[in-house]
Amino acid sequence: MALAMLGPEVSWYLGVAAFLFATGAFGVLIRRSPLIVLLSLEIMLNGGNLALIAFSRHYGHGDGQIFAISVMAVAASEVVVGLGLIVAMSRKRIALDVDKLNVLRG
Amino acid sequence: MGNFLVWVMWIFAAFACLGSGVAVVSFSNPFYSALALIGNLGSLAVLYLLLSAEFVAAAQVLVYAGAVMVMFLFVIAYLGGEADAPWAGGPTWQSFAAALAAGALLVEVIVVIGLKAGGRLSHQAHVTRSFGSPAAIGRLFLTDHLLAFEVTSIVLLVAAVGGVVLGAHARRVDWGSAARREEDALWR
Amino acid sequence: MIWGAWLCLVSPLAAAALITLGGNRLSRRGAGYLATFATFVAFVGAVISFATLLSHDGGDRSHVSTAWTWIGAGSYHSGFSILVDPLSVMMMLIVSGVGSLIVGYSIGYMDGDDEERRYFAYMALFVFSMLLLVQGGNLVLLLAGWGMVGLSSYLLIGFWHERPSAVAAAKKAFVMNAIGDATMALALFLLIQKTGSLDFGDVFARQGFLGGWAINLIALGLLGGAVAKSAQLPLQTWLPDAMEGPTPVSALIHAATMVTAGVYLIVRTHPIFEQAPKIEDLAAGLGAATLLMAGLIALVQTDIKRVIAYSTMSQIGYMFLGAGLGAYANGMFHLMTHAFFKALLFMAAGIVIHALAGEQDIRKMGGLGKLMPFTRWCFLIGSLALVGIFPFAGFFSKDSILAAAMDRGWYGYVLWAAGLAGTLLTGLYTFRMYFVVFGGDRSAFVREHFHHGEGHGEGPFSMTATVAILAALALVGGWIQWAPLWHPVTTWLDPVARPIVEPANWMEWTSSGVALALGLVGILLARAFYGVPVRRRRPVPRVAAVQRALEHKLYFDEAYDLAFYRPAVAVAHALGRFLERPLILRTSGEVAEGSVDVARGFSRLQTGLVRTYALAIASSLAVIAVVFVAVR
Repeated sequence: MALAMLGPEVSWYLGVAAFLFATGAFGVLIRRSPLIVLLSLEIMLNGGNLALIAFSRHYGHGDGQIFAISVMAVAASEVVVGLGLIVAMSRKRIALDVDKLNVLRG
Repeated sequence: MGNFLVWVMWIFAAFACLGSGVAVVSFSNPFYSALALIGNLGSLAVLYLLLSAEFVAAAQVLVYAGAVMVMFLFVIAYLGGEADAPWAGGPTWQSFAAALAAGALLVEVIVVIGLKAGGRLSHQAHVTRSFGSPAAIGRLFLTDHLLAFEVTSIVLLVAAVGGVVLGAHARRVDWGSAARREEDALWR
Repeated sequence: MIWGAWLCLVSPLAAAALITLGGNRLSRRGAGYLATFATFVAFVGAVISFATLLSHDGGDRSHVSTAWTWIGAGSYHSGFSILVDPLSVMMMLIVSGVGSLIVGYSIGYMDGDDEERRYFAYMALFVFSMLLLVQGGNLVLLLAGWGMVGLSSYLLIGFWHERPSAVAAAKKAFVMNAIGDATMALALFLLIQKTGSLDFGDVFARQGFLGGWAINLIALGLLGGAVAKSAQLPLQTWLPDAMEGPTPVSALIHAATMVTAGVYLIVRTHPIFEQAPKIEDLAAGLGAATLLMAGLIALVQTDIKRVIAYSTMSQIGYMFLGAGLGAYANGMFHLMTHAFFKALLFMAAGIVIHALAGEQDIRKMGGLGKLMPFTRWCFLIGSLALVGIFPFAGFFSKDSILAAAMDRGWYGYVLWAAGLAGTLLTGLYTFRMYFVVFGGDRSAFVREHFHHGEGHGEGPFSMTATVAILAALALVGGWIQWAPLWHPVTTWLDPVARPIVEPANWMEWTSSGVALALGLVGILLARAFYGVPVRRRRPVPRVAAVQRALEHKLYFDEAYDLAFYRPAVAVAHALGRFLERPLILRTSGEVAEGSVDVARGFSRLQTGLVRTYALAIASSLAVIAVVFVAVR
């Protein structure tokens, strides 16, 4: 039995997703600690996930959800590697401040 | 009645989501930011439920909020969580530029979607009850999107290996005389 | 016959190439033998060409053989062609014959030098260039050979390149030759423009139609080249300096062959000169002036090679005199005999220099006659031939030139008188040199430094044998032509270069008699002053100012320095200060600094901070999205 959607339309969810994405971008650009940058990055990814799920509901296909699960898996892997890097950095006594990491300065 | 409830849930969850998102970006203590993110993830799970994506909501709570954020908290605890005051020293040109860029992105996303979608976004498809169920997701994963499934598993494997390598202590092998005699004795 | 001529031309080039490519694999002696052998093969080729020309009768003795078309530009074509006719065969015989003797002599002279192979490669290159010059079938090849002999001369004068004086002399020779090359090239350009070709046959056929000023300019240009190459007035200053090269080089290049190329040029292009009689008279006049001037300067020279060099300059003046008067065969005949006795003199002087371990100052020599009898007799033969004493070679050739001068009106008589005065001077300076070096008692220097050549004799076999052959030639070579009685040389050259003066027999006898008498007077004067031992010598009467002027070679070098070198240097310095440094260097410096500044500005984008890069990405994304939406 096919059900209609209750509550707000998909476009509202898309608005939330856009806002999440923008907030996450703002956080990436503004914070100095790499940890918080990673967290902001997670927010951006989640914003994208929300948009995917919303569209999946809009069209009635499950593809968007599959995509969202894959995104989640990739986000998890990326967090693993990112945190590994940060831990390695702190072990080598490198300052955890993106403004100080300018070895690639030309 | 059902519609009304959904609306109320939506408003709560959306505001929680947005608020915690802003909080993550604003707190100076990384610990608080991580906790705010957990809240964000939880409210997102609620929104997924409202969108009939039950499996994804469960996965979000279990994997994202449960595993990934716990890992974050572990690392923050390990590192000592130095406070990083983002708003200290007043707004710099970088914060202006960042705000501008982020705002521009926000506006653009909304405008583009609005322009392109036309009026089509107002009609949602009707779905069955089994729309976001694990069975449906599983079937999709193993038939239509098998490649994505396999590739994702490889990505996870690579990440696991990378994590181990990054975290390992470098083992210093001592080939001094005592170690060597030990090694020789082992081979006798 | 044609292949004989090609053999003659190619053989020395092959030797030069082989020696160059062989490098260290070829022994030093081996290089010498190879070069000598190749030059001798060239001589054989020349003899073959000569024999086959003889077998043809008189009118049919001009053959052109073209290997390929070298230059084809629009309507102008120039082939790599060689011309085999009596004149070129005569020159081929002289160049390759005397050349092979001198290259053989070099084996002994240059023995032990570190860079012998380079020397022999250069000598082979020179022989090839000279043969190209005389065998060239058109003026382009002649000019090519002309330039290449100049190059070989430069390379060989500066052979001992660690000596700054040698390097300077080489540069001087090359630059002065280049002036001649330039005038010659201009003349050739004019010829192409007016006649459309540079082949000898075509040019001579068409040049009758040229207007007065054109032909005069062409002749003047050619004369300029000849004057530079043959070291005549006013481009003569390089020849004495060229004595910095090894003695065989002086013998071959600056006595027998290269410096006579100017005479060959005038004789070869004589139809052009006959159309420009004023230029011909100019050539004769320059020759006469040079022979007097060189004779005077030779009187005060103290370096044995320089005396012989000025003597060469003077004798070429005689050849120019002959060619300028139109007595082409006489000029060429004197060229041939001069090659014999001048090479002989240089080579004998080389034996002396060798025996004295490199000393060339005649004031230090003396009494060598008893120590080196063979050399002394050869030198004596050469000197007598040079002065023109009967029956030696110079008598027959020089006097017939003087006789030809008598057939040219009042100008001819002026030249005749100059030539006779030159004979007196020749006797004087030649025998001054002979008596000072070989006569009297041994000087202190000789007593200390003289040493015999290895083993027997006065020098290595290669040196003494070749000198002996040349002495024989200087003795009998002149008998080929005794103008009033028999003249095969003139007959031989007749189809190519018919003389335009025909001196009567009485003129011949008169000239011979007077010249002979004057020569003997010169010898006796020299003997009076120098033929006695040093302590009994009377002081030579001299005027101080004249003596100084002659010792400074009539101040030509100083004059050229003031007229040409100093202004050029001043201009160069001025250009450097006012043009190069402020404009060019500064500008390039500014350009370089500007680009560095731009680069530095750009490098400021590379902050190395992730945040900046992320900001850049986000902003670009925003901008691109707007652009896409607006455009779509």
